[in-house]
Amino acid sequence: MNLFGMMEVSASALGAERVRAEVVTSNLANAESTRTPEGGPYQRREVVFGTQRPSFALSLASAGAPMQDAGSSGVRVRGVVNDPAPPVVKYDPSHPDANADGYVAYPNINPVNEMADLMGAARAYEMNVSAITAAKQMIQQSIEILK
Amino acid sequence: MSLVDTPLMKSLASYLDVTAYRQGVVSANIANIDTPGYHARDINFKQELDKALGSPDAPLTPRTQGVPGLQERPDGNTVSLDREGLLLAQTQLQFTTGVALLRSELKRVSMAIQEDKGS
Repeated sequence: MNLFGMMEVSASALGAERVRAEVVTSNLANAESTRTPEGGPYQRREVVFGTQRPSFALSLASAGAPMQDAGSSGVRVRGVVNDPAPPVVKYDPSHPDANADGYVAYPNINPVNEMADLMGAARAYEMNVSAITAAKQMIQQSIEILK
Repeated sequence: MSLVDTPLMKSLASYLDVTAYRQGVVSANIANIDTPGYHARDINFKQELDKALGSPDAPLTPRTQGVPGLQERPDGNTVSLDREGLLLAQTQLQFTTGVALLRSELKRVSMAIQEDKGS
C-alpha cells in the first residue's frame, strides 16, 4: 500500500460515516412522522458497514510490489436496514391518524440513542480526518527529501 | 557500495517503507472502527523491519496479523480507538524521524561533494 492508498482507505470511511450521520439525522427528523409513502409510521433505519476490497486502480498501482493483503481494506455501507421494532402506540384521539380506539402509532425512535449514534459517527469521522492529515504530512515530508 | 547510495540510506528507505505500511494498516483499522465483526490488524514491526533490512532490494511483503488481547465489542469488532490513535501518532513520528535522518545523510554526501570542489 502506498501513501495515497492510505488516504483512499480513510476517505472511504469518511463517506461511510457521513451516510451513517445522514441516516441518524433522518431518524431524528422523522421521530414523529406517522405517515410514509409505504404506509404506517416511519421506521427507524440503521446503516450496516462492511469491509471493502481495495479498488481496481489501487490494486493495479501496487501490482509490481505485492504489498496488498487482508490488512488494508476500506469500509463501505453495505445497506440501510429498517429497525423491525414495533411502533410506539400513544393515546391521542384528536390525531388524524388515530385508529378507531383513539391510539396513534408513532415511530419507535429514542432521541438519546440517536444522539449517541450521531456523536459516534462524528468522532469516527474526526479520527479518520486525523489519519488523512497524518498521510498528507508523510507525503509532504517525502517530497521534502527532494529539496 | 557507492558513495551517493550509502548502506545507511538503504536501511532508512526500508525503515520508511515498513513505517508507511504500518500506517496504512492503522488507517484501515480506523476506517473499520464501526464495521461489525472486523478484527484489528497489525504487523510485527521488528520482524518486518529485520526482514526488510536483510534484503533491502526485495519488494516489501509484510504479513499482517490479528492483534491479541483486545476487548471485543458486542458487534464482534475489536478496534480500540485509543490504541489506533496512539499508533497513528507514533508511526507518524517514526516516519518523520526516518525522513530527518535520510535528509541529514543526503546532506552529508552533498557536503562531501562540495568539500571536494575546494581542493
